[in-house]
Amino acid sequence: MQFFKTKHNFLVLATAALIGAAPSAYAAETIRIGMTSALTGPYNEFGEGNRRAVELAVEQWNARGGINGKKIEIAMLLDDQLNPDRAVQNMRRILDDKSIVGIIGPAGSGPTLAVIDMVQADGRPYMNPIAQTPVITYPDGVGTKPRSNVFSFALQNDVESVAMGQFLAKKFKRIGVIHESTAYGVSGLEYLTASIEKNGGNKPVAVDSYNQGAQDMTAQVARLNRSGVDAIAAIGLGKDLAVLRRTMARLNVTAPLIASNGALGLPYQEGAGELTTGTLGTMIGAFSDPMGKATAAFAEAYKSKYGTDRWWGADPTRPQLFMAISVANGYDAANVLFEGIRRANSTDPKAIISAIESIRDLEGANTTYSFSPERHHGIETEAVKVFEYAREGDAVRLRPVAN
Amino acid sequence: MDFLIQMIASGLSVGAVYALVGLGLNLTFWTTRVLNFGQGSVLMAGAMITAVLVARGCNVFLAVALSLVVSALILWVIEFVGVRPMLRIRGSMGWVVSTLGAGIFLQGSASWLFGTQAVAFPDVLFKSSDTIELLGAYISVQYIAVFVISVVIVGLMELFLRRSTWGYGVRAVAHDRELAALMGIPVRRVVVGSFLVSGLLAGAAGVLVAQVSGTVDPNFGLHLLILSFVATVVGGMGSAVGSLVGGLTLGVIEKLVGGYVSPAAAEMVAFVLLVAVLTIRPQGLFGKADTVKV
Repeated sequence: MQFFKTKHNFLVLATAALIGAAPSAYAAETIRIGMTSALTGPYNEFGEGNRRAVELAVEQWNARGGINGKKIEIAMLLDDQLNPDRAVQNMRRILDDKSIVGIIGPAGSGPTLAVIDMVQADGRPYMNPIAQTPVITYPDGVGTKPRSNVFSFALQNDVESVAMGQFLAKKFKRIGVIHESTAYGVSGLEYLTASIEKNGGNKPVAVDSYNQGAQDMTAQVARLNRSGVDAIAAIGLGKDLAVLRRTMARLNVTAPLIASNGALGLPYQEGAGELTTGTLGTMIGAFSDPMGKATAAFAEAYKSKYGTDRWWGADPTRPQLFMAISVANGYDAANVLFEGIRRANSTDPKAIISAIESIRDLEGANTTYSFSPERHHGIETEAVKVFEYAREGDAVRLRPVAN
Repeated sequence: MDFLIQMIASGLSVGAVYALVGLGLNLTFWTTRVLNFGQGSVLMAGAMITAVLVARGCNVFLAVALSLVVSALILWVIEFVGVRPMLRIRGSMGWVVSTLGAGIFLQGSASWLFGTQAVAFPDVLFKSSDTIELLGAYISVQYIAVFVISVVIVGLMELFLRRSTWGYGVRAVAHDRELAALMGIPVRRVVVGSFLVSGLLAGAAGVLVAQVSGTVDPNFGLHLLILSFVATVVGGMGSAVGSLVGGLTLGVIEKLVGGYVSPAAAEMVAFVLLVAVLTIRPQGLFGKADTVKV
């Protein structure tokens, strides 16, 4: 009996040793990264776009020989469907795997806010590709110390609202704001109000909100209209903005709609149909004319790998502007992470973070990136523009509007 | 005044759809005492099939007709697979899970076949920008069309239930299933018929609502199902007129609270109304209290 017990203990120890040893041996051969995103579900517009982008970046690095001779591997690719609970479970699995070197986070503010504290406590480099709420990177507010291991490639609310606020303050006197009731919508409202006032405009005369997935916004639009607004500013996702635009048409509200980046994507264009003409929206301008060298190279690489798919957009000859926040941001996030690992020549989290903080003027698909210990976000106000859907012959195209 | 008119018009429109969905729930409840929790997904199926067919070049009216047929057939399958086996066990509540499961299955199938993204819904009835002016208020022609079509369907159903042989059959089965069978009423066929018609109503409601929202996605319909259920309970389970009054009441109060108090407060209206009706008049406004001989 004693023999069996001893043997049993030995087996347990040996198995434990093997399990413990396996990841580190594996890590020595490849650079393993983990990712959780909305790969399926109603919001996979962003998550699936990011997966494609990260896979493209990995493929390109590996084709060049990997990072300092080591191949990159997406060791964990998990689906959270933009659900905060599932994102937490996924992130726990990723963080429990000590061989993971870097992490690419979820596709929205809700799930990202749910995982960000555990990510910060863990300390490994984390790239936020999409979530727009600035507290994800700067927990005490913009301009204060960032979370040490979090880097953002998102179009932050505060950055987006600068362009929108400047435009609104200059052109309109009685602004009404409608926003979704999520963290993204609420923080977006705060930043937009501050930006309008900072640019010498009047405080919004009416503010209303709606829940994501609302099928009718009559009450909200009628309330804004009753306040005599001369413009409606909206912060939300494309599908909901389409419902808003249709409701405006039904109530014969002719004030222009100036919306957040969601209005520049396919869900808005498909949902609003011919009502898209005249809608204004803010967006990273990377994919507008003239495209930068790195942006054009990315577009070409995407097209040859995936073709002119839904993420590319309706026009096969040029990518849609929306690619900046559904695909290119994930591509830049992965590239900056890999560049950090390359510069650090190590998989030690602190070394990678310092290396990323040392990056200056690195050309990406969306913008030119510069980081520092105080600055952990990439997209700045000069990268953002206001666009308008304008009819050109039979087609409706987006063209930049002078601020 | 124009604000009030706009709120009432949109409330009547959405309320009429609640009534339509509620009547579908009522029909199957009468004949089998089963509440179909998968009905929301049938709404989605009706709207999704129309949207996908039109996008592929099918004539709009043919697409709507096909989607209605498919919606009816879906309910027939739900009855066959999810309801009938459960009712063989006396007192079983298995249909709660089976109808809910059927709804989830439909959602999953739609995601798999058509993707998880919202699909644009074509303009079947007028355009969003078609409006008429009434006392200074702009009212959407789509709202009017949705209201008129829903009320006409509910009215025809009421007439049909009261005057047709099949309607007598439904009421007889609802009253006493075993006695109806003894009297020679083909209970099975009446039950299957009620499910088929319930499917038609759900499909029609799906197409009408998608017209207002402009898009349809696999999660479409669940919220509407909950509100329609509330409208049915408020109006009284077992009454077509009750469904209509319950639906319109809920729709109008929701919009008025949304307009005059806040859109966030409108979210609570359904549940406040539900609790109030259940407390004051548990059988609903038009329902008859169940008397049980003990």
